[in-house]
Amino acid sequence: MGELARRSGGPLLALVAVVAFWLLFRPEPAPADGKVHIRYWEKWTGAEENGMRKVVEAFNARQDRIHVDYLAISQVDQKLLLSTAGGDPPDVAGIWDYNVVVYADYNAIQPLDRYLERDGLGADHYLKAYWELCRHQGRTYALPTTPVSVALHWNRKLFREAGLDPDRPPRTIEELDAMSERLTKRDAAGKIVRMGFLPTEPGWWNWGWGYFFGGRLQDETGRATMVTSENVRAFDWVKAYADRYGNRDIQVFQSGFGNFASPQNAFMSGQVAMVLQGVWMANYIHNSNPSLDWDAAPFPYPADRPDLVNSTPVGSDVVVIPTGAKHPNEAWEFIRFLQSQEGMEMLCDSHWKHSPLSRVSENFYRRHRNKRIRLFYDLARYGNTFTTPRVGVWREWQDEIKTGFEQFWINGKKPAEALAYIDQRIQPKLARYHANLNRN
Amino acid sequence: MQARSPLARVVITLILLGGSVIFLFPLLWMVATSLKPLSQTSEMPPRLLPYPEAITGSDGVRYPAAFYLSPLSASAGEISRPEETLVALLGREGDQAYIERDTVGGRKERLWVPATSVRIPPVYRWENYWKAVTYKTDELGYIPFLRYGKNTLYIAILSVLGTALSNALVAYGFARIVWPGRNLAFGLTIATMMIPFPVLMVPVYVVFKSLGWVGSPKPLWVPAFFGSAFNIFLLRQFFLTIPFELSDAAKIDGCSEFRIFRDVILPLSKPALAVVALFNFMHVWNDFLGPLIYLTDQKMYTLAYGLQAYQSQHGGTQWPLLMAASTLVVVPVIVIFFFAQKTFIQGITVTGMKN
Amino acid sequence: MKGPERVAIKRKRGLTRVEKTNLRNGLLFVAPWLVGFGLFLAYPISMSLYYSLCDFSVLQPARFIGLENYRQLLGDEAFLQALANTVVYALAAIPLSILVALSLAMLLNTGVPGMAVYRTIFFLPSLVPAVAMGILWLLILNGKNGILNLVLGTVLAQWGWMSLLLLTLVLLVRSGTPDPPHLKGRKPGRPRGRYLGAGLAGALVLFLTWQSGNTAALGSCSINLPSWLSETAWVKPAFVLVTLYGVGNSVVIYLAGLQDVPVHLLEAADLDGATWWQKVQHVTLPMVSPTILFNGIMAIIGTFNFFALPFVMAPGGQPARSAYFLAVNLFDNAFLYLRMGYASAMAWILFVIVFGLTMLALRLSDRHVHYGGS
Repeated sequence: MGELARRSGGPLLALVAVVAFWLLFRPEPAPADGKVHIRYWEKWTGAEENGMRKVVEAFNARQDRIHVDYLAISQVDQKLLLSTAGGDPPDVAGIWDYNVVVYADYNAIQPLDRYLERDGLGADHYLKAYWELCRHQGRTYALPTTPVSVALHWNRKLFREAGLDPDRPPRTIEELDAMSERLTKRDAAGKIVRMGFLPTEPGWWNWGWGYFFGGRLQDETGRATMVTSENVRAFDWVKAYADRYGNRDIQVFQSGFGNFASPQNAFMSGQVAMVLQGVWMANYIHNSNPSLDWDAAPFPYPADRPDLVNSTPVGSDVVVIPTGAKHPNEAWEFIRFLQSQEGMEMLCDSHWKHSPLSRVSENFYRRHRNKRIRLFYDLARYGNTFTTPRVGVWREWQDEIKTGFEQFWINGKKPAEALAYIDQRIQPKLARYHANLNRN
Repeated sequence: MQARSPLARVVITLILLGGSVIFLFPLLWMVATSLKPLSQTSEMPPRLLPYPEAITGSDGVRYPAAFYLSPLSASAGEISRPEETLVALLGREGDQAYIERDTVGGRKERLWVPATSVRIPPVYRWENYWKAVTYKTDELGYIPFLRYGKNTLYIAILSVLGTALSNALVAYGFARIVWPGRNLAFGLTIATMMIPFPVLMVPVYVVFKSLGWVGSPKPLWVPAFFGSAFNIFLLRQFFLTIPFELSDAAKIDGCSEFRIFRDVILPLSKPALAVVALFNFMHVWNDFLGPLIYLTDQKMYTLAYGLQAYQSQHGGTQWPLLMAASTLVVVPVIVIFFFAQKTFIQGITVTGMKN
Repeated sequence: MKGPERVAIKRKRGLTRVEKTNLRNGLLFVAPWLVGFGLFLAYPISMSLYYSLCDFSVLQPARFIGLENYRQLLGDEAFLQALANTVVYALAAIPLSILVALSLAMLLNTGVPGMAVYRTIFFLPSLVPAVAMGILWLLILNGKNGILNLVLGTVLAQWGWMSLLLLTLVLLVRSGTPDPPHLKGRKPGRPRGRYLGAGLAGALVLFLTWQSGNTAALGSCSINLPSWLSETAWVKPAFVLVTLYGVGNSVVIYLAGLQDVPVHLLEAADLDGATWWQKVQHVTLPMVSPTILFNGIMAIIGTFNFFALPFVMAPGGQPARSAYFLAVNLFDNAFLYLRMGYASAMAWILFVIVFGLTMLALRLSDRHVHYGGS
């Protein structure tokens, strides 16, 4: 008996283990609803995720052929690239406009032109600034979801406290600097407790400071134009903040900032009185600190360049169909719904943003929850808009700019030297990039 | 080397105690943070232990903070779960509570609400752990903690199984059978330990891509079934210490090499196999780069990698929840360590002592 | 033909029957590894060499471009900076780790009670996954409200009495250590050294008291503390600090090595009147030198694997690429910029460096490492 038990014990135990393992980890059965399931990866989390979820659910409820599985993916652009390279991409992915050219050049996303032609969608359907973002070498690789334009947000309460008129934002850069000086406060020990304006908060458009001074990053031939008098002037202006308030003091001050979507955020908590922020800010203020008394206006221009009034970087969240997607046609059906006036307004309204479409329903802006929505729409439509350079090496370029920026912001290098450094780093990469484009 | 003088012993003990405090403190900080409300994680000066949370009312008085769950929000039909908001508790009377809360438009409003809809959170927020495992907040998005745990376990079980099996076989071949070319092959095996992983990162990725495995957990456990130099070495050293007379006797009885391996060597090698299995489990549990490269679908993430994903969500870091999740990831490893401490120390000792 | 002759002839032609069986069995047992070696090592490595000569993005077939990648690498400041960072980090982290780990192990090996408990405590941090560790240290190292700066600030503000305490301890130990009985009264040189030590310590206390008076006058000394992860000068020390925190693994290894030091050697040294330091220098260190060498080589390889911590704590190597390490740089090129060929070239340079360093360590160690056998 004992012998028998010992002998059969091994295999029996192994069998039990295998069964248990299978029960615990058995693959989930594919949903047997007869629908085509497409995978949609998006970057958003939180309230913005919920907004997109509603649109997805509306689409799923509206027809019974396709079911969209929405997945929130952090670092979605990187993950998309990895999964496409690995041959297992999602069917639809939501990325950023500056990814479009890069991914198109990698051959990681599909051109959408045949679908667009078939369904009669085209340039006239969109605001020009946003349509351009989706194009590369004469083809359309993406379509916008929610658009971005950017303005100066200011804290009215802090303006009042500093003896400034809360209804009179700075119009020129010089006014911005002067007001910033009045709004900045230090404690008895000399530590900064509040700043009027801080160019690196949030620092998402550090690549674009030159444009606010009339500069640009690239000329028509595709060469980088980092070291121009306008760009140097812009970075000198940024650097002046580090010099005026001490980069060490600023770093200590900054390391106490909470995350963007938290009440501890620099602007929400009143640590920085004026910030450059996007159209979504109203939504985040509403969520994190609804009692904040704020307003928004176009970012100031240099007093000697009044032609640069109403400058704004524009960008957009976009949807793409990756190369190797299993259900491109069904993916397009969903994108088509997103691009309809109804789908788009449902989405943009939930994000408190304007619509990238040229036509909106009658009440869209009238009952919009973002009190300055007209400003952002007007900036995108009529303002001096600029975008990141449309080149496939933008990722590298951006990293170089970031490094160069830190060189003068933290390490006290001269901005002109930092710009020269960036220029010297990116020029050969650009040259190689254009050479490759011409060969293909 | 014994320290003889009592004074030297006192000083050494003091230094060791000081060292222990330094080594324990960060872990303590992690656990302490996991029990705090968010507002107490970024204050100046930082405090180790949580304390009762207070909110300054519109009249400048500090009131105890409380969670308020509006009886209305439960039926609002929102997709997101109804959420408790943080309010100032001004007072209570019977079954009513008087609170002050923020309202849309930047005003504070005071109102009487049913006392049952208000709750004063405990000073130590053990609920952070529950939230870290199950929570879905506006700031953090969905945290499928249990799912990540299950994924990790899946990879770990298969990987540990493969490691124990394959390395024992291979080590047996290197230790107990004399065949031409063995020493050369073994030398080559040892030499591969010098190759840093980043060197292999790209070409191995291409191999898995051509197998169509990228995006699945296979690249994380299948290689375990093919042995690794380090484990082969470890087990070989152990197998060499088993008397060869045992094998010879079995051979005379007519046993095949495989039966000797299974019935003689394996039963005697349990401690060494445990070491190898344990190390492999630790490696899989803590691995970051592998999941980063091979897992693309959030549903398949592992715990160690998933942690990083929460941290990088652009919507704000929930330090207490993140620390609670970190603690939960660390705890199983520490528990295993305590149960298998002897094996562990032995294993590390063996691996470090070779030359 | 007679038997022995036949065997001899067979030998000339090839293998005996037993040898053949053994070869077959041996290969069968080793088969999984042979397959694994081919699939996950030999083939990838040779492919990597080929990729390093190509423009290769995975999404498109590789295009041969000769040595272009290597040429570019040598002028790539990001790579060179990552290389420099890694070397600087290694130069600080490896010796310090060895020093700290060995010191702790030696303290643990003195026979004071509670050795197993301390060992466990020192070992615990090395059980924590790198990601959790990184996130935890992000919180601790925060320049404004991190706990590290609070502790450091407090310590610095209290320099005065803390250094007094330290001095008392040092003096107590130095004067209190009773001499071995057989040495009493016949050491001409030592008292002078003792006074020298006391004098130095006294000077240190005076200096630190003066210093703390200065900082006290400033009102708050936390103003001078670095915000670790956002300053180019402090981010590498921060990483060294975190590395040192995970030193427990080596402590355990050294401790085992120390316990293997033959007692009779130490006793013999005692009889010769050796001081503590002389015993360390001439007995303990030589006896554990193979362990140190092994750990050192593993640490060199580990440095080039240094990935998860910087990836979590310093995304993109910020600030200003001062925390950009080789493994991260390689990952970025391969999976962010999809320049797999370029990354492969980088991998090969890295491989050559690791190989060279290991050989160098082995060569240097020939003279200093003592392999048992006495």
